[in-house]
Formats: sequence, structure tokens, C-alpha cells
Amino acid sequence: MAERKVGDKIIKVIRGDITDLPVEAFVYDITADCKLSSGYGGAIASRGGKAIQDELATFGTLATGEATVTSGGNLKAKLIIHVNGPKFHEPDTKVKLARTVQSALRQADENGITVVAFPPIGAGLYQVPLDLSAKVIVDTVSEHLKNSTTIKEVLLVAFDAREYKPFEVAINGGN
Amino acid sequence: MSARENKDTTYKIQVMRDILAKKLTRSVVGSLVACVHCGMCNEACHYVLTHPDEPKMTPSFKADQLRKLFKYNYDWTGRVIPWWVGAKEPLSDADLEALKDIAFGTCTNCRRCTLNCPMGVDTATLNRIMRGLLSAVGVMPEGVRVVSKDQWEVGNQMGVLKEDYLETLDWMSEELVNEVGDESARIPIDKPGTEVMYTINPREAKYDPRTIAAAAKIFWAAGESWTMPSEGWDQTNFGLFSGDDQLGGASARRVYEKMKELGAKRLVISECGHGYRSTRCEGPNWVGIDQDWEMESSVFTMLRYLQEGRIRVDRNKLDRRTTYHDSCNLARSCGITEEPRELLRMVSNDFVEMVPNRAENFCCTGGGGAMSMSEYTPRRLKSAKVKADQIAATGAKIVVTSCHNCVDGLSDLIKHYKLGCEVKQLVELVADALVIEDCAVMRKSKAVVEMPKPALPLHGRRILVVDDEPDVRVFLRTVLEDAGAEIYEAPDGDHALAMARKHKPDLITLDLSMEGKDGVSTFAELRSDAEIAGIPVCIVTGHPEFRELIYQRAVPVPDGYMDKPVKDAELVDNLHRILGLAEHHKAPD
Ligand code: SF4
Ligand code: SF4
Repeated sequence: MAERKVGDKIIKVIRGDITDLPVEAFVYDITADCKLSSGYGGAIASRGGKAIQDELATFGTLATGEATVTSGGNLKAKLIIHVNGPKFHEPDTKVKLARTVQSALRQADENGITVVAFPPIGAGLYQVPLDLSAKVIVDTVSEHLKNSTTIKEVLLVAFDAREYKPFEVAINGGN
Repeated sequence: MSARENKDTTYKIQVMRDILAKKLTRSVVGSLVACVHCGMCNEACHYVLTHPDEPKMTPSFKADQLRKLFKYNYDWTGRVIPWWVGAKEPLSDADLEALKDIAFGTCTNCRRCTLNCPMGVDTATLNRIMRGLLSAVGVMPEGVRVVSKDQWEVGNQMGVLKEDYLETLDWMSEELVNEVGDESARIPIDKPGTEVMYTINPREAKYDPRTIAAAAKIFWAAGESWTMPSEGWDQTNFGLFSGDDQLGGASARRVYEKMKELGAKRLVISECGHGYRSTRCEGPNWVGIDQDWEMESSVFTMLRYLQEGRIRVDRNKLDRRTTYHDSCNLARSCGITEEPRELLRMVSNDFVEMVPNRAENFCCTGGGGAMSMSEYTPRRLKSAKVKADQIAATGAKIVVTSCHNCVDGLSDLIKHYKLGCEVKQLVELVADALVIEDCAVMRKSKAVVEMPKPALPLHGRRILVVDDEPDVRVFLRTVLEDAGAEIYEAPDGDHALAMARKHKPDLITLDLSMEGKDGVSTFAELRSDAEIAGIPVCIVTGHPEFRELIYQRAVPVPDGYMDKPVKDAELVDNLHRILGLAEHHKAPD
């Protein structure tokens, strides 16, 4: 398992289904309309129950780069940090992605989270290059962990081997 | 930004231009420039036949949408005389939406029009590229977005969660164990080192698990060593429909990685047209891997079990008339037409052909992901009249097909046109017709009765296919494997030489015009290396003008020569003849 220490905090790459992890919080890349939709969103709705979408409905919309929090419903996670990352090759993807990760980390701090899990935000349907996503997440998280934060552990969660490798490369300082 | 462009659309057009540039292989450019708008393909398209007054339904109109973009950016005619050649780009989000409706809503990428085009224009490929460009900027039907996201993030097109999938397998196992009274009939999950790993279409796990139980019954009856994977079990691939090659590669890779992890010898793909095409034919190219295991449709597996006497069936168990619907992906794109019929005749006494059939068959109208795009349902069902008439004319009560997509498309049109028949797959018919007491599982020794297999013309021959066009390699591989050959592939001269030295194939088919080391130099090097000089070479080229160059070299001439496009039967005959001659020359007097 690939990992990086930042002071007394740790970043680890693991394989798994992020919506089924026993962590305090995980990040979900949602669309601006705050609808859970399919994929991880479908898994959240199915395993977590209706309460999560109901809670989201009270927020209205979420601008690109911003984050908001709901409960985890019946999921193993206590909280879900919903972020609206850049999508479909939109301009300034890298900058927006970094802002998205910062917003998620800020939400984690505000909610006193010690263990938070990230997927490769934007990679997949939204066509953010996997390498770019992995690198921006690793760099932004590493920077954040240097400062005062409630977070002790960040899990980078790869759904498959294809997603694992870029995280591993980024965490080992490559890429 | 040019004055022509709407500000919000600017970056999207640039993204589309950039992606299109990467897609311009020789065959794609060929299809882009070759259309003379003769209209000969019109009558091949089920949309044209059912919408005779709508010129927008013609294949050339659909492909012209990509041509305009190509000509505007990459073809000199578009730069010099754009008004004449119709070179144009979308200018606004509304234009992109209009393109979406054409690319996703008026074409099922069935490839029937290609058969009728004297210029060999592959409209479906162009339409798929347009879908890919639109998907890259987020312009796609909601259903395509939902299904793609499920496949990316949950690992299957229908968002079936792992616990639900495993529970379904457990449920099917229970039913089967109860039915046959044998605990060993349980579906093995993630069992390492088996002969067979069996993958399915998520539709089976979500809506119709009876086909899983039917397959399990057949594997059990045949005494097969098999397993189903807990992950990487979705053989379908929405990347084929959305035009997103990244999704195509990611999905295929999950299946291949599970194969590697479990170490199964053969990947058996359940009856699914696009699942077969994307896992066996397109997947290795999308992923960029050489896989060293066999992949086959379960149709071939069942047929083999019957031919080897591992299972027996009683065709009298089925008393209703059947007909067979050829899936576009299996028949037109992969050349699988005879094996399903052979199998069907073994389980059905009253089988009638639908007309036209095989590669000429009409689409079920649910292809290309059409079933997920509800906004186009009325148009789809109107276009389904052609298929409905075909089915009605057979008088069949059961329409058999080897494709899950077709099951859905056909069931929908049968209901809409009140045809009073049902759709089934071969796996269900074979499972129902099993005579268990005569199957391998019931024989004490479990010894397998070997039945003589019909000899295939290239059986056991190892052939190295050298061509820089992935499509051509897929075509050659499919035709030659169907003829019994084992295939190696090389995309250029350097790889070809390395593979020839490593594998010492029985024959090499060699393209002449390739990036990097071309075929002419490759051929000369091949003939000059004593270790591989004796391997027969058949040139397969789209550039007859290079023929002279080959013959000018001071090395022995090629053993065969064919101009593209090559026909399946001619190719097999030619290679068979070359191999026969080579053996004759080698044989001692
Ligand atoms: S695609 Fe072929 S058959 Fe159709 S209009 Fe063009 S040239 Fe004619
Ligand atoms: S690929 Fe099929 S649906 Fe598309 S234009 Fe050609 S015939 Fe019509």
C-alpha cells in the first residue's frame, strides 16, 4: 500500500468502494444541481437512504469548486462532503480542481473530521485526466496537512487498478 | 475567439477539434472524404425506411455532421472553398444539442448502411466519433450520462451494487441446487485456476437472472470447472455507445484484470452482442494489452459441449416455432452467424429464417444504447416497424437472439406492434432442452466423449497479423480465428520483426503502408534474416502502387498478395493455399 507521511499525519492509497468505507467522511463529486444521480450517487442513495437526497434538496445549487456536507444516512460513513469539481474539459480545470479539494478539506476541518476519503475527483465520466486529478489531490492534501487541521488521515480511494496507479505515482512524488 | 463563435461554446468546440484530430486514422479519413452522396445506402437504414419524407434520416446526412467539422478544420477543401464543401462548425449550445439529437437519436450505429456503400463509408464509426466529441463536452442524453456514470463508478452499466450481485448469484445457486438436487451445482465465485471465467450483462443480474441460472445449469451439466468473478463481471461496455474510448478501456480492463487474478484459461462471454464485440474485439485495443487467454461467446461454448458430448439435448422439448434475430454486433461486426443457427437447430424442430438475415439483418432498433435514451422512444418504435414486419412474416412464437440488448429492443417492439410472441436466448433454450441423465455430470467416470470436430481450414495455424489500423487487425483476427488460426498481432514493422523472431509463426500477413517501419522495409528485413526468412508472407495492402517496390527488392518475393478490402472467404482460402504450398515445399522428396 502506498502512503506518504506529512508530519504526524498520513495519506494512504487504498482500493475499494468509497461509498462503502467505514470512515468518518468521504468526498462525493456532485453536479451543480445537488442531485445524487447515478454511479457513486446511486450507491449513496441506495445504501444511505432517502434522507441524504432530502438534505441536499435544501441547499439548492453548488458552484464549481465549492463543497457542502450532509449526513451519511445509513452508510458506514458519518458524513458525506459533496463537492462540485470541474467537469468535461472546462477551462482552468487544474485551478478549479485544487479549489475543490481545498473546499472539501475545509469542510472536513469545520466538522472535526479526523479520517476523510477522496476519490479521483473528476476522472471518469467527467473526463478530467486521471494523472492530473491524482496529482492535484495529493499536492493539495499534502499542503493542507502541513497546517493546523483536525485531519489525521486521508485515504485516496481507487475503485480499480487503473485508478490506483496514478495515486501511487503522485504519492511517491512522481507525475 | 473567432467572430463566428458563441462565447460559451468556444472551449467546447476547441475540445471537440482536439479530440477529432486524434481520431483521424486513415480509415476514418477515408470514410470522411469518400462519400459521394449517391444515396445507395439510404434504403439500408431502418430510420429512412420508416421516415421516408425526412432527409435528415439518411446515413450521409448523419455522417455529414462530422464531415463539416473535419472539413472546416482539417481538410484543405474546407479552408479554400468552405461554402462548396459545407465546411462548418457548431456555433452555439443549441447547435450542439441539435448534433446530439442526430448522433444519439437517429442512428443505432448498426452498420447496415456500410454494407450497401460502394465507397466503403463506415457511417456508424463516424457517428460514434461524433458521440464521443459531444460526450467529451458533456452534451449527451441523460440516459447515456446515467449509464456511463454507473459503469465508471460502480463497475457495471446498471449500477448493480456488489452485495446485490452476490445475493442474486446466491439466489440462483439455491434455485439450481433445489432443481437438480446436487449441492455441487452452486455457482462458484472467485474460484482460482478454473477452465472458464464467465461474465455477464448486468441486465441479467438486475432484471432477468434466469439466464444466469440457465448458464450455471449448463456448466454444471457439462462438468465444467468454472467460476463467476465478484468484480469485473460486466462484459458490456457503454464506451462503445457513448464514443468514450477511455470508458471502453477502463471497463474492458476490469474484466481482463480479474481474468489475470483468477488465472482462468478461457473467458466465456454470455450472449451479448456489444459485450462480445467490446470485450473480445475492441477491448484489447482500447486497453492496449496482449491477452494470452481465449475469449469466446457462450454460443461457442455450448456448441462445443454438444459436439464433444459433454451435454445432450432433446429438441422435441420445444414445440413452438422459432426464428433467429442476428444482433448487428455479432453478425455484421464480428461475423458470427452460423454457430447460433447450428445450436438453435439442435434445440428447435421448427426453425424458420427471418428475411433478410445474417449480416443483412435489420437492427432490433435498441442498439447503440438506444434503450437508455427515453427521449427518442417514439422515433425508435416507429423505426421498429421494419423489424416488426420481419418477425411477423416468420409466424414464429419465439424470437431467439444472442444479445441482451436485442432482447430488450425486440421485447419492446413486440409489445408495441402486438406481435404475440416472446424473445428468448439460446442459453435458456439449451438449459431447458438438457437431458441431464446423458450429460457429463451424471456419468460416473465423467469421461468426456470426444466427437470429431469439423476441421477448420486454418486449424492450429499460428498467424502474425501486421497492420497499423486496429480495425483491420480486429477484422483479420476475427476472420482467421473463426477459421481456426491462433493469431498474434503487430501494429508496425519493428514489432512484427520482434514477434516473428519470438513466435516463429506459420505465416505473416503484412500491410505495406504503416507508420514507423513500413511494410516494404519490414519485408526486406524479414527475408534477409535467416532465422525467419522462410516464413510465408502474404501482403494485404490498400496501396497497390507499393506492390512494385516489393518486387524490386533483391529478396524472394512474397508468397501471396491481396488488395484491401479483402473478403473473408478469399482471405482464408488464400492463406490456406499458401500454407499448403509451403508445407509441400518443405516436405522431403
Ligand atoms: S455513404 Fe456511401 S452509399 Fe451512402 S451516400 Fe455516401 S457514398 Fe453513397
Ligand atoms: S448505422 Fe444503421 S442506423 Fe445508423 S445510419 Fe447506418 S443504417 Fe442507419
